[in-house]
Amino acid sequence: MSRLASQADGEPEAIFRVDGLTKVYGEGESAVHALRGVDLVARQGAMIVLLGPSGSGKSTLLNILGGLDHASAGHVWFHGNDVTAFGDDALTEYRRRSVGFVFQFYNLVASLTARENVSLITEISDNPMDPAEALALVGLEARLDHFPAQLSGGEQQRVAIARAIAKRPEVLLCDEPTGALDSQTGTRVLAALDTVNREFGTTTFIITHNAVIADMADEVLLFGDGRITGQRHNQVRAAPLGLSW
Amino acid sequence: MSFLRSTLTVKLMRDFWRLRSQAVAIALVIAAGVGTMVMAVGLIGSMSATRDTYYDQYRFADMFAPLVRAPETLMAKIRMLPGVAAADSRITTRATLDLPLVMEPVTARVHSLPAASPSALNRLVLRAGRYPNPRHPEEVVANEAFVRAAGLPLGARMKAVLYGKQVDLRLVGAVLSPEYVYALAPGQIFPDNRRSAVLWMDREPLAAALNLNQAFNDVVIRLSPGEGGKEVERRLDILLAPYGGAGAYPRAQQISDRFVTNEIDQLTTMATLMPPIFLLVAAFLLNIVLSRLVDTEREVIGLLKAFGFPVRAIMLHYIVLAILLSLGGLALGIALGAWLGRGMAGIYQNFFTFPFLRFRIDATAYLVALAATLVPVMLGAATAVWRAARLAPADAMRPEAPADYSGVAVTRLAAALGPDEPSRIIIRGLLRRPIRSVLAILGLAAATMLYVASMSPNGSMDRMIDLGFSRADRSDLAVAFAEPRDAHAFHELERIPGILNVQPFRTVGARIRSRHHEVRDGLVGVEQRGDLSRVVDIEGRTSEAPPVGVMLSGRTARILDVGVGDLVEALVTEGERPALRMRVTAILDSPFGGAATLDRAILNQAMREGDVLSGAYLQVDKAALPQVYARLKASPMIAGVTAREATLRTIGETIEENFSIQTYFYTGLAMLVVVGVIYNSARISLSERARDLASLRVLGFRRGEVAFILLGEQAVLVLVSLPFGIWAGIELWRFLIGQFNTELFTIPFFVDPRVPAQGVLVVAIAAAATAFLVRRRVDRLDLVRALKTRE
Ligand SMILES: Nc1ncnc2c1ncn2[C@@H]1O[C@H](COP(=O)(O)OP(=O)(O)OP(=O)(O)O)[C@@H](O)[C@H]1O
Ligand SMILES: [Mg+2]
Repeated sequence: MSRLASQADGEPEAIFRVDGLTKVYGEGESAVHALRGVDLVARQGAMIVLLGPSGSGKSTLLNILGGLDHASAGHVWFHGNDVTAFGDDALTEYRRRSVGFVFQFYNLVASLTARENVSLITEISDNPMDPAEALALVGLEARLDHFPAQLSGGEQQRVAIARAIAKRPEVLLCDEPTGALDSQTGTRVLAALDTVNREFGTTTFIITHNAVIADMADEVLLFGDGRITGQRHNQVRAAPLGLSW
Repeated sequence: MSFLRSTLTVKLMRDFWRLRSQAVAIALVIAAGVGTMVMAVGLIGSMSATRDTYYDQYRFADMFAPLVRAPETLMAKIRMLPGVAAADSRITTRATLDLPLVMEPVTARVHSLPAASPSALNRLVLRAGRYPNPRHPEEVVANEAFVRAAGLPLGARMKAVLYGKQVDLRLVGAVLSPEYVYALAPGQIFPDNRRSAVLWMDREPLAAALNLNQAFNDVVIRLSPGEGGKEVERRLDILLAPYGGAGAYPRAQQISDRFVTNEIDQLTTMATLMPPIFLLVAAFLLNIVLSRLVDTEREVIGLLKAFGFPVRAIMLHYIVLAILLSLGGLALGIALGAWLGRGMAGIYQNFFTFPFLRFRIDATAYLVALAATLVPVMLGAATAVWRAARLAPADAMRPEAPADYSGVAVTRLAAALGPDEPSRIIIRGLLRRPIRSVLAILGLAAATMLYVASMSPNGSMDRMIDLGFSRADRSDLAVAFAEPRDAHAFHELERIPGILNVQPFRTVGARIRSRHHEVRDGLVGVEQRGDLSRVVDIEGRTSEAPPVGVMLSGRTARILDVGVGDLVEALVTEGERPALRMRVTAILDSPFGGAATLDRAILNQAMREGDVLSGAYLQVDKAALPQVYARLKASPMIAGVTAREATLRTIGETIEENFSIQTYFYTGLAMLVVVGVIYNSARISLSERARDLASLRVLGFRRGEVAFILLGEQAVLVLVSLPFGIWAGIELWRFLIGQFNTELFTIPFFVDPRVPAQGVLVVAIAAAATAFLVRRRVDRLDLVRALKTRE
């Protein structure tokens, strides 16, 4: 079992505990083993980066952690609750309360302004931030009333981050958040994620193909062929704005 | 090239298969359009052909000329008139029958039998039994509808009062006549086959009873081909005036033919009005489906063009798809039309007694159906195909930029209207595609309109009947005399035990004229403050005949082009045939009112006759009804009796019978349109929004919350469409009423408030059922896929 959170100062508090997670798409001859038994423990408040070749199963893991997809076998414990045993409705409530997502293609609602895209989520949350506050946190206080079509890619991604964090989720899952962005814009997005992680203690998973980004994480997980093939602990997290690729 | 083409064909079939459920929804709407069209065109063709063949084979007269009495020798002169191809004299009268199975007296029109020769006019179709034997003067044949309705076996004996004489008649046959395809008794608006009959008997006994030996009182005429008839009519009137001619009239004014023609006209209205509605809706649906397809395939189109694929082939690709999407509708529509047409022909057969009425769809109907289907294909595919053709390869390869929602009006309006973000998504979505939203609203409104306009006639009919039979006519019975009578007849009626109240009326045949305009309709003399029969206007207000002058119906006033204060001339066609000049002192629309109503005393005076009446309304003690009937049946002076209640019952039954069929029919049609519009517009919206909606699901929105966005949009469309639909339906009904009205009756404009309410319900049910179907797709959204693609 990979002990991601083995820190010196006492017993770590685990937010996720993953046991023997497997995922098989399809059946028989054409079956694809996306995950072949993943075990991990994630400490609350950690910044975790997942690295690995294309098709190694990173997105699959993240989707199961976030309650988007069902596992074929194994368990995901979230604060001691078995997420893999949840039905569709329970998964929806889980995503609604506890999980924030950021995607490669932003997935903003084109017919809503930046502020409205955020309040779309705050309207259904128990203890949300003010949408303007969330947008200020990602440096977009000046673009509140712009529609996605009027924003750059990086700005759109920061709106997506504001949307994801505005409900104060415990977990933030980011699948290639900088995948569609250039280096400079990408670092600003990463800086926003870093701020959120530090200020709110939001446990953050970031999938990337970019090894440089791993420097800003507490923990780095290396993926290969549906398994975790290696792991790394950074004593010091690099500042995102100093990264470049 | 051929490889590409065949691959494109594979794509075509895959597209078609993928769009199958939308294709079904489109096909249903096209089927409704094609179906109503095929049905109406088929029925028009079948009815016209049947009518024409029937009239021709049985030599139905082109012109009719009733008179009092003329010697048979006059026929030679009539036959000599230019334009007259053939003329037959006959004897026509009225009688009352006393039948064992019918409580009320039966009113009969009696004609002398046409000659047995094939050249005779108005020949009969023998349906059962045989024709009367000249050696048995009591033998008669009767119209089949009456024989059935009255439950008379062949050989049945009937007591009759024929021209004041008691006679015994014996039924030996049942017949059809081109003259009575629609057998309407005078003064009635629905056939009452149980209480009104048409009899034909040998001419000899009839002549003897009416003192018309070697004489006649009715002429029927066939015109030479190409003869208009106006001149013949004029000459006939001159020729017959000395013999009490009541005025010749053409077939177009013959009551049975008028109803048949009227029905064909109404079918024509239906055929021109209804199918376009469905076909335009179908065009809209095809358009949104194809436009969406072109949108999602812009990259493919660009690729094909970049590879040098000809634009023609790409256009053809989408046109063929549009045709494929419509073909099902065409086939279904033809089947539906044939089925409905056959059903309707069956209903018509109850109304119109044709010897044969086969519903046939001829080549024209198929061609019309095909042309009708091409309309939505062309209209619907045009913009989409054009867009595909115009796409520059380079543009097409670039992914579509996110839709720009920054229009000022749209933003402000949505921000103001939307209480929360999901509602703003809905409102902005609708406002961003204003044309599509408006068209969807129009399509949905068309469904409501169709329902409201089609179901309103019943309310108006009910109201007309209510006006006619409870506000205007409050008598129990109305009796008509064989000939005008003086006050003795009035007292004679009064003295019958059980008759509580008698209100006389006087009718006089006349032609009412103003300059070159003419209306042939009688003058009706009514009592002031009569309680049994009152003058009632179309709004139900009671009125009186004016104390001086004459009151015209609105329709008559329009035809004569006169107003209050103008003079009209009435050329009376009976008695001393005076020409009366009368001032119009009132104009009033009443449901069943005659053309011209005046005070009976004034009419008597103008006719230079004493206190004369043509008949009377009676109030009868219910308990004494059988005895009253017995007296009336035996009374020599009475030629016709109508019982208000029995008439009302017959009308009720007739309407009831057709009402339920009609309800299913129009409910079905309205629902088809709603399902077609909602299903397609929701599916398109789902396809455009799938990514948004899936993202929302990922972000923790529940299924219901996501469905609200998609279906809320449709709900807004439906809600907005309803008032328009109701309004349009009411206006359409107002327009149609103008088409339906005849001299016989004026349908009051009235919309039963339940009809729009039911329309709303029908639309809501159809919309909800469709929403349910689409909702299942929302529930099955693939969350992970939405995150992988850029759209
Ligand atoms: N819906 C699916 N059906 C079948 N196979 C799938 C499906 N989704 C993913 N896979 C397969 O599962 C494996 C893991 O996919 P996953 O998306 O998790 O990879 P990844 O590590 O995120 O790759 P990338 O870096 O390219 O995003 C791949 O081989 C992929 O083909
Ligand atoms: Mg991935």
